[in-house]
Amino acid sequence: MTVMRDDVVKALAGLTVQGDQDGLIDAFGVFVNQLPVAFWNTFALRMMDAAPPERRKQVEAALVRCAYECGYHTGYGIITSEEFKKVVMPMVTEGEKDVLRGAYAVFTAWGWAKSGIAKIDPKEKMVVRATDYYEADGPPGDMRAFMIRGVSAAFFELAYADEYPEGMDTYTCEQTKGIEHGDAHGEFVVTRK
Amino acid sequence: MTLNVNFTFDEKSYRHYMNGFLSVLHCHHYLCLTTKTAMDFKEINGLQILQETAEDTMRPVFEEYFKKNDVTTVKDKLLVGMRYYAVMGLGKMKATANEQGGEVVLARSHVDQGWLKRWGRNSQPVNFFTRGYIAAMFAAAVGKPARSFAVHEMEAIATGNDYSRFKVHTNN
Repeated sequence: MTVMRDDVVKALAGLTVQGDQDGLIDAFGVFVNQLPVAFWNTFALRMMDAAPPERRKQVEAALVRCAYECGYHTGYGIITSEEFKKVVMPMVTEGEKDVLRGAYAVFTAWGWAKSGIAKIDPKEKMVVRATDYYEADGPPGDMRAFMIRGVSAAFFELAYADEYPEGMDTYTCEQTKGIEHGDAHGEFVVTRK
Repeated sequence: MTLNVNFTFDEKSYRHYMNGFLSVLHCHHYLCLTTKTAMDFKEINGLQILQETAEDTMRPVFEEYFKKNDVTTVKDKLLVGMRYYAVMGLGKMKATANEQGGEVVLARSHVDQGWLKRWGRNSQPVNFFTRGYIAAMFAAAVGKPARSFAVHEMEAIATGNDYSRFKVHTNN
């Protein structure tokens, strides 16, 4: 048995998350927020549009970095959580590979991207495909799934780099295909830095 | 007043909706780093982009709710904004309105407490997302166009204060 994405999605997608009496969602070692996707997409688009050509790469890198650090810290909270242990770990038979598959199942369940691992070379390379993701919404144009790029590098580090929190900045992720760019799916390639 | 919140999940796309609006869970690292990114890119007015994006993307959420739930008074409309703030995990907000604008106090704040957790105290207030949120809340409550209200953060949890306080006034 390996991690079955759809089973994990079914188990986790129905969880309703909302603020407590203090208006905070304290979970997985972080404060969680639940915002309209329009906020994240519009912010990224406006920042990229406002950047002069010589600064666009830097803005892009900063936007990826925001998601990367979120993915690293929250990702660690997720894979060490009781929910993950209960729902995903019983399906884990292939070590880190399956933990990664489980992480992408959670990624999918929470609406970040309908995604999964297409290829994996442990410790070296991973290819992720996403058939639906919110960052593709909006006008067609350049590839802009900065969140998926950041989180994918982070997840691979959680699986294969030095133990948390020492494994940061080991891997990088590039987007090679994008629905927003006219491709049938998004494709993300994680490699060593 | 209780906020009616309907969370739905699309089993085909695996997307989540909150009262019909596509929504997503993220953490304080993401929103705090987004704020820091906006601060770092001063030359493209990153903070203005952040604040205006919050204003422009929150307003439809409020207005749709007013329409569907027959919310008509300014007081109740502001309450909707306060309740949504808590439901979305952004903190505990209390807003009061007067003829010139009003005041908003946060007893708890996702951005500020997240900032403290991540970086410790800051010398200046950091909650630019909430400035935009409040601008949207007030403009939607009184039916004025976007950018009708200026919002200034006078005191901030992120600087070590016990609460955050925002002053709201009309832009003339």
